[in-house]
Amino acid sequence: MTPCYGSEKRKPKVPSCCGAESGKNILLYACSGGANVAEIADRAARELMSAGCGTMFCLAGIGAGIEGMIQTAHDADLNLILDGCPMDCAKKIFDRAGLTNCVQVKVTDLGIEKKKGVRAADEQVRRVVAKAKEMLTEQ
Amino acid sequence: MKQIQILGTGCPKCKKLAENAEVAAKALGIEYQLEKVTDIDRIMGFGVMMTPALVVDGQVKAAGKVPSADEIRKMLT
Repeated sequence: MTPCYGSEKRKPKVPSCCGAESGKNILLYACSGGANVAEIADRAARELMSAGCGTMFCLAGIGAGIEGMIQTAHDADLNLILDGCPMDCAKKIFDRAGLTNCVQVKVTDLGIEKKKGVRAADEQVRRVVAKAKEMLTEQ
Repeated sequence: MKQIQILGTGCPKCKKLAENAEVAAKALGIEYQLEKVTDIDRIMGFGVMMTPALVVDGQVKAAGKVPSADEIRKMLT
């Protein structure tokens, strides 16, 4: 899988790196609900992390108001939110936390129907990953 | 007394953040105690994913960047 931002591969930021690497700090979040679109969002976020596009971070922690997590999101260069459906739960969590440095990808906007009891397909995950990379490249 | 904590494993950015924090605290003339937290588990306990990070009196004020001494002065007041 090709990395974002041209040919320069960006490694995920982890506490031990102390920000020593150059490049933007991008955090990735998936709504991770119960339907197929949430599984797709979750898998896409992990694919993006593996591809070096950013670091997956804890949406639940933002929702719970964990101060350090909110500050981490606030200080990130960009937060990429992967929402499954038009409920926009992840985006609303960010709105409630007062975080504006984010972009959203919505799985159902990519022609994928929300269904319960159906597993994510690889092709659907790839579609979301491609859209997310496109959005990251535009930033 | 202000409790200032620098979260990070000891890279140059962490050291720079500690320096800036000391400059800021001294400029304000406040009493302070500065601690460098290098243990990853403790760092994660603050909910911080990106280091270096600055914590003042238990509150995370900055994460993943090195604020200037002027910026830190505002965080200390």
